[in-house]
Amino acid sequence: MVGVLIRMRLRLLSHSLRGAARVSGFVAGIFLGLLGAAITAGAIAGAELAGNSGLAVAPLLFLVWTLGWLVAPVLVAGSDETLQPEHFSLLPIGPRKLAPGLLVATTVGIAPVMTLLAFAGLLVPAASHGGATFVVAAVGVVLQVVLAIVASRVVVGWLGSAMRSRRGRDLGILLASGVMLLIIPAQMLLGSIVPILAGAGDSALLEALRWLPSGWAPAAVQAASTGQWLPAAGLLAALAAAVGVLTLLWSELLRRRLTTPSTGSGSVAEKVGGGWLERALPAAPVSAVMIKEIRLWWRDNRRRVSLLPGLLLGLAMPLFLGFGDGPGTASLPFAALFAIWLAMLNCGNLYGLDGASLRHTLVAPEVQHAEVRGRQLAWLAFVAPVVALAALVLPAVAGQAEMYPWVLGLTAADLGAASGVVMLLSVFAPFPVPQQRSNPFTAAGQPGCATGLKQVAMSVLLVVAVIPVLAVLITGTLLDNDWLLWSSVPLGLLTGAVSAWGCGLVAVHWLRTRGPELLNAVQP
Amino acid sequence: MEPESGPPPFPDASGAADDTPALRLETLGKRFGNTTAVDRLSLSVPRSSFFGLVGPNGAGKTTTLSMAVGLLRPDGGSAHILGSDVWQDPVRAKELVGVLPDGMAMPERLTGRELLTYTGLLRGIDPGTVAQRTEELLSVLELTDAAHILVVDYSAGMRKKIGLATAMLHGPKLLVLDEPFEAVDPVSAGTIRRILQRFVAAGNAVVFSSHVMALVEQLCDQVAVIASGRVIAAGSLDEVRGGASLEDAFVHLVGGRTGGGEGLSWLAS
Repeated sequence: MVGVLIRMRLRLLSHSLRGAARVSGFVAGIFLGLLGAAITAGAIAGAELAGNSGLAVAPLLFLVWTLGWLVAPVLVAGSDETLQPEHFSLLPIGPRKLAPGLLVATTVGIAPVMTLLAFAGLLVPAASHGGATFVVAAVGVVLQVVLAIVASRVVVGWLGSAMRSRRGRDLGILLASGVMLLIIPAQMLLGSIVPILAGAGDSALLEALRWLPSGWAPAAVQAASTGQWLPAAGLLAALAAAVGVLTLLWSELLRRRLTTPSTGSGSVAEKVGGGWLERALPAAPVSAVMIKEIRLWWRDNRRRVSLLPGLLLGLAMPLFLGFGDGPGTASLPFAALFAIWLAMLNCGNLYGLDGASLRHTLVAPEVQHAEVRGRQLAWLAFVAPVVALAALVLPAVAGQAEMYPWVLGLTAADLGAASGVVMLLSVFAPFPVPQQRSNPFTAAGQPGCATGLKQVAMSVLLVVAVIPVLAVLITGTLLDNDWLLWSSVPLGLLTGAVSAWGCGLVAVHWLRTRGPELLNAVQP
Repeated sequence: MEPESGPPPFPDASGAADDTPALRLETLGKRFGNTTAVDRLSLSVPRSSFFGLVGPNGAGKTTTLSMAVGLLRPDGGSAHILGSDVWQDPVRAKELVGVLPDGMAMPERLTGRELLTYTGLLRGIDPGTVAQRTEELLSVLELTDAAHILVVDYSAGMRKKIGLATAMLHGPKLLVLDEPFEAVDPVSAGTIRRILQRFVAAGNAVVFSSHVMALVEQLCDQVAVIASGRVIAAGSLDEVRGGASLEDAFVHLVGGRTGGGEGLSWLAS
């Protein structure tokens, strides 16, 4: 069965690699993966060759990669599901058999292979201790990669399972945000790697990391290198057992997913004509789109997991940007900007999320204008209050009241610009999202590196959008002129409005002229 | 999969006595939130029968069929396929049944031929048999020209046909089909009808849901009418329609009336 699953997965991957954009994304993904793998493996091997112990560094690097496996699917709202468990629900294959099969098939892919290459750095220090230690390292590396993958599957499956019931939905969002915050320790660990490589690291920390499951393979190699074969074998066995337990857990999550589909949203309180939104807004096409969008952000799990965790992580980001050494407090007042940026990136696939319902827009005459403006306003309706609150409160909390003109001016300018860039991303960098309700954290393949690059390129627009405000702020600071400094706030509001209007106009034009192409791009 | 399970067995290998129903549902129930989708529903589909399941939109047909084939866990009750309990022994039950679900999840970026091939191999059928059955199914269902096209690019009718092919590939003893004729062109529909009739004539059973009453009358010897998650009439075709046409009997049974005569003046002007 496993062989067939692997062949199937390879065939699906090769079929999805049609078109220059997808191929270039694939190549870019391989390149980035190789880079990361080379740096990791190089750091372990380099530490060893430079006379430090590569074995001491490995647990830290392995932990960072493992955390990456846990965070990535939540952060980009997509765990690779080229092979969906649903495809096999009619076959006489129980979840106990399906789970390991899918797991092995999953290892055939860019990310797992790159992780394997990265972890293979452990072989260099092991090699100097003889053949038997090398074998321990080889087995350990493979188990360690599989552990990262299966842990990632369990987390995603668990979040999806939580979100399938109505009651668990909000809990699921919180849990997802919690998982995303795992990026904080990963960031801190990465920050501590340079002193460690220079031989000035905190050896107690390294010692401790070896006790985490992500450090068991290096620990086994360490034991083997000193001839302690029993602990080495024990650690490898513990790794294998951890993989086994997680696989069992995952198979149980799969069983639930396949036989207890989403309860749907149930009946929701229908509010057409009666809700406060309808009463508050004038009856016009733009408000109709806006109200529809606000309801969708609220009701659709996929949209929730796109919007909320990004917003929360953005606010939390400054807290860990430089934990312990200075810059953390310096960037705290600017949390609002991070939140804008992440909320923009995560929401920049509105048409992909809507899928085929874009048809409704395409068959109606001249609705593109209302369509784009309504969506911009709805996005702002969720993001603006949170961001404004953060911008108003955080400078004071951080004890940096003098930063208010900077924070408010830049936030105003970027908030407007981001509401436009969300639309630009949605029309220029759309990608299909599988239209299944079983787990909102899954994507068919990845959004693709090409799309990722477009997202990064579009992020530059946020920087461009604040240039006028920044110029005024810098001039004001240099001249020590309070009037000039504070004039950045109305200027920010003005430039924000102009860029929201301008980007929206481009999106309207694109929607008007390239509607069918967009529809084609978002079909799963 | 290891070949140990082999191609699903043919006649009588299920070990069940001949009077075991092809499908037996007992007090199946399912609630979604406050809505009762299926309400202690019981149904028995004899072998060698062509069984039609009809009911208004939202009556619970798809929910019932999903619970009957192991896709949706019922809150209560049981489902047996040729004596095998779907929820106690799902592997055995799934070997015996072929299913065309509503909105079937298929790996979209496989070609039709690849989909059939991998499905067959995963079911443990030997590669030679898989290849032969795949070609035969593709050609009979007039999909040969589309065999190298990705499923994602299939039309609605072609998706139905490839779904039907995956349901029949392993030689099941019972076919459970949700709206099998929907969106299928008349020529293909005729082909499918003849295939299903031959399948039933050989001692197997078909359960299908449909809204096309004429089709149900033409094909089925047994009919059940479902409304609000309950069976409100079941039996042979003649018992259920009682002298009238099935459509009239249906409208009478579900207590509806044919609307459309009034209102909408803005549309008809």
